[in-house]
Amino acid sequence: MATTTAQLTLSSSDLTSDALALSTTATLYDTGSKVGVTETSGIARKITSSVSEYTLIAEADYANDKSHKVYLKHVGTTASDRVDVKFASQSVGRLYAGDWMFIPWNGDTDIKLTPNVSTSVTVEYMVIIAS
Amino acid sequence: MATTTAQITLSSSDLLTDALALTATATLYDAGTTTGITQTTGVARKTTTATDVVTLFNAAPHTEYGANKAHKVYIKNCSSTRSEYLTVTINAEEIGRLYAGDWMFIPWGAHDTDNDIKVTPSVATSMTFEYMMFISA
Repeated sequence: MATTTAQLTLSSSDLTSDALALSTTATLYDTGSKVGVTETSGIARKITSSVSEYTLIAEADYANDKSHKVYLKHVGTTASDRVDVKFASQSVGRLYAGDWMFIPWNGDTDIKLTPNVSTSVTVEYMVIIAS
Repeated sequence: MATTTAQITLSSSDLLTDALALTATATLYDAGTTTGITQTTGVARKTTTATDVVTLFNAAPHTEYGANKAHKVYIKNCSSTRSEYLTVTINAEEIGRLYAGDWMFIPWGAHDTDNDIKVTPSVATSMTFEYMMFISA
C-alpha cells in the first residue's frame, strides 16, 4: 500500500482578533480501513470555451459507496471567472479563479461543471480512488 | 479587508512512480472580486451520540449567507476509529463520507433554503467533528 496525505492549512492574521492558524493532515485510506489508497486518476487538466454544463468526473468510471477524494482547482486568474460545481443535479458551490476544493466523493454521482464564460477556462482535477 | 488563505498539499512518495507533491494556495475573496472576505463563523466543534441528521449550515435564517456567493466550508471528522464516518449531504444529495481523520474544504453556494449542509454520524457512540464557514459577500 502507499502512503498518501492531504494537508490543509487555513491562515489569517487579521480575519478575527484571534489569528487563524489551522492545520490538519489526513492520510488517505481505502474505505473504512487503514490500508492506504493505491489508485488515482492522476492530475488532469481540462480547458473549455463554452458555458455549457459538462461532466468532469463520471460516476460510471468509479466504484460506488467508497471514500474517494476529489481535488479540483480553477486555474484562472480573472477574479470574476468561475465554474459552478454540481453533484448530479445538486448545486454545491462556485469555484472562482484560483479557488480549489477537496471533497469526499462516494462515486455515486456525476460531478459536473458549468463555466460562466465562453472564453478559455482551465481546471485541474484528480480523483484519489478508494477500494 | 482581511487576508485569509487556504492551502492544500497532496503528498505521496509511493502512490505513483512520479512522486506526488501538489500544493495549491487560494486567497479567500468575496465573490468574483479580489476583496478579502471579512466574516467567518469561527471553528465550531460538536460531539454527537446519535445517528440523527445534524444540520451544520442552514442558509435560511442567516441573511449574511448570501445566495450564490463564494462561501467556503471546512468540516473534519475528529474520530480516531477508522470505520466511523459522517455522511455529508447537501439538500438531499449524498456527497460523500468523511471517515475518521478526513477533512473537506468546499465552496458553498447557499443558493436557497434547500442547499443546507448536513452530516449524519454512522454510530451512536461519541463522534466529534469540527466545522467552519468563511462567509463571502
